[in-house]
Amino acid sequence: MTRYALRRLAIGLVQVLAVVTAVFLLVQALPGDAAVALAGDNPDPRRIEEIRAAMGLDQPALDRFGAWLSGLARGDLGVSLVSGRPVVEFLADGLGPTLILAVVSLVLLVPLSVLLGVVAALREGGVVDRVLTTVTVGLHSIPEFALAVVLIAVFGVQLGWLPPTAVGADLLAQPQVLVLPLVVLLARPVCSVSRLVRAGMIDALASDHVRHARRLGIGEQRVRFAHALPNAVAPAVQQLARTTDWLLGGVIVVEAVFVIPGLGTILVDAVAGRDLPVVQGLAVVFAVTTVLVNLVADLVGFRLAPRSAVVA
Amino acid sequence: MIRVLLVAVPVVLALVGPLFVSDDVPRGAPFMPNSALGTDFVGRDVWQQVLLGGQTVVLVALLATVFSYAVGVPWGVVAAMSRVVDDILMRPLDLLLAVPSLLVLILAAAIAGPGLPVLIGVVTLVNFPDVARISRGAALEIAARPALEAMRLQGESWWRTSVVYTGRSMLRTLAADAGVRLTGALYLVASASFLGVGVPPDAADWAVMVDRNRVGLFLQPWAVVVPALLIVALSVGLNLTFDRALRKEAV
Repeated sequence: MTRYALRRLAIGLVQVLAVVTAVFLLVQALPGDAAVALAGDNPDPRRIEEIRAAMGLDQPALDRFGAWLSGLARGDLGVSLVSGRPVVEFLADGLGPTLILAVVSLVLLVPLSVLLGVVAALREGGVVDRVLTTVTVGLHSIPEFALAVVLIAVFGVQLGWLPPTAVGADLLAQPQVLVLPLVVLLARPVCSVSRLVRAGMIDALASDHVRHARRLGIGEQRVRFAHALPNAVAPAVQQLARTTDWLLGGVIVVEAVFVIPGLGTILVDAVAGRDLPVVQGLAVVFAVTTVLVNLVADLVGFRLAPRSAVVA
Repeated sequence: MIRVLLVAVPVVLALVGPLFVSDDVPRGAPFMPNSALGTDFVGRDVWQQVLLGGQTVVLVALLATVFSYAVGVPWGVVAAMSRVVDDILMRPLDLLLAVPSLLVLILAAAIAGPGLPVLIGVVTLVNFPDVARISRGAALEIAARPALEAMRLQGESWWRTSVVYTGRSMLRTLAADAGVRLTGALYLVASASFLGVGVPPDAADWAVMVDRNRVGLFLQPWAVVVPALLIVALSVGLNLTFDRALRKEAV
């Protein structure tokens, strides 16, 4: 298992490099650059050239990419072209809100979706199962922004129960601003994860080893939760990994609607300002989290259901 | 019944709506509640904008899905034919899947500028790797069947083995996947328009309406809630319909 993990880490490193290169090329292809964005509404071509030279934007793309990569190896992500602040500070700023949202979402998501999935599976075909299935299938496809504005209109504006946005709020000191964003963030993942748990549980309850456990006279509760459940959760772990990855990747839409200054907001601003180093820094963070989260998910899945050999 | 209504109301509005709107758009004060649904952020009648705004959402999602298949299916089938080609074709797609799709969307749209073809192209770009993977998997499975081997031994032409037989056998898998793709495309198109990717800022488009009229949520909530609910109804309805169709198939 250690060898497997190391091998995956090596592949992951290559993947991070590839993603970073791809993003660099894409940002290169953006029309205009930070110099144009900085020069203002009525740009003077001479001024743009000066800014370009000062930022090193007049050097060949390959040289700049090389310099950036060697910086990355030393843990230096460079400075923002727009404000001159170190990119690391941008990332640290955005990471706070993004992490809070991601952690709280996951803490709520796992028990909630496992519970819903198990309840539906134990009542397979019954009224509870049918209602849960319809609701989860229906909710799953709603774009976050549409759900978000409807919730804001109802609970934030009409009823006035909850703050409509998180403008200027301290997320931890005023937890009520987190309620609506969390509901929106949870809506889709709860549906996808609970449906996988339901399917896994139904399969597991009908499997040979569970039937064997029943024949041995092990109590029904123990059979369900000690023998069937771990196998039922294994397929859902992959989906959880995707969700975690999505949550850590800066949930652009939810951050935009609720005005939360996380990684997604920073990304949108950086692309708009052609702030290449910040976009690159974010790409590194996103790629690294993707690799790590998937690695952890594979290891956890392996622990939960060792029979299903992990395919390297 | 509810399922049918959920899909039918937005789709009919989207397709027939533009016929009922006169060309001259009267402009009044922004966010006034003077007509059925009031006015929007630049003072246009919200009901007219609702009638006009579904077309892009529905058509772009449909076209993007069609193009995803047009690119993805041949891509996957060709990849399934030989090992070397497989690596060349599928590795870059793994990469594309590893970059967050909204990041790809924002960057690609910023490169290509606004416009509906760009939006269709970008959503296709994000969607087709999955289609390619699924068709590659399906084609590999079919290629290993004894029936195909027998056809090859009988000297059937390449056209008959690869296209007619394999294609027909793949149809089931692809049809099962189509619903998921379409709702996925709808989700992406709506989210992209909401973020202002690939559409002009004052476009008559349900998602753009939601975004632009948000500032007036306290004054005139209908301008936001009606288009948002139409998008919700369409996505919920489509998903329920396809899910139902799939389960019927399975029984």
